[in-house]
Amino acid sequence: MAEKTLDCLGEACPVPLVKTQKAMESMAVGDVLIVNIDHSCAMKNIPDWARSVGHAVEIEEVAEGEWNIIIQKMK
Amino acid sequence: MSEKKKYQFHELYLKKEWSYQTGAVLLALFSLALVIVTGKSWGVTGPLGMWGGWILSKLGIAVDTWAGFKATPVASYDIWKDLPALTNIGIVVGALLAVLLAAQFKIKKLKSIKNLWAAILGGLLMGIGARISLGCNIGAFFTALPAFSLHGWIFWISIFSGAAVGSKLLVKYFM
Repeated sequence: MAEKTLDCLGEACPVPLVKTQKAMESMAVGDVLIVNIDHSCAMKNIPDWARSVGHAVEIEEVAEGEWNIIIQKMK
Repeated sequence: MSEKKKYQFHELYLKKEWSYQTGAVLLALFSLALVIVTGKSWGVTGPLGMWGGWILSKLGIAVDTWAGFKATPVASYDIWKDLPALTNIGIVVGALLAVLLAAQFKIKKLKSIKNLWAAILGGLLMGIGARISLGCNIGAFFTALPAFSLHGWIFWISIFSGAAVGSKLLVKYFM
């Protein structure tokens, strides 16, 4: 099971979402992608998208205005 | 007791993002309230244009001779009587308050020079576009819909098709 980190700090919508979608394509089932974000809209649209395609999602607040979105590829 | 349990109200109402439905209902109510209270149609970029003109006039440029400032000359402009302008200031203060209450305030680092150019270019294009079309998504949409103005619906169709083309271009040339 591989784990990959995607740095999207300082980037605004829809860039973090598009980068996440691209990164997920190259990953195998069971792999985990950690997306670093500091744009609050990305905290909504990335989990919304990931859940809608069936991945497991967790959000972790790492600092004020900074989050990690942890996505496990499920299929 | 965990932090989340201890500050349940804060967690639920100030920190966790509200649903799109809650947002839609509140926006509709506030849009109506704004018309009732101010008696004016709110636009964001109109006052911004006046502020820009005011700055230029202070730099010694005679903007009042320009066609765009014929109707409301910068010389007689009073920000305290410009309710849409005060609403603009209010929305910035309100947004700051909301992010501070949620403890999510952060000064973001500039990621790359490319992002800097994108921001400058994007800002210029948006500014020019908003002034030529006499309104942004506030003046041409948020204010238009409760007034039952047809132009709001035309703007709605246009901005969605524009955004669709824009995001395709963004993915193709920028990422």
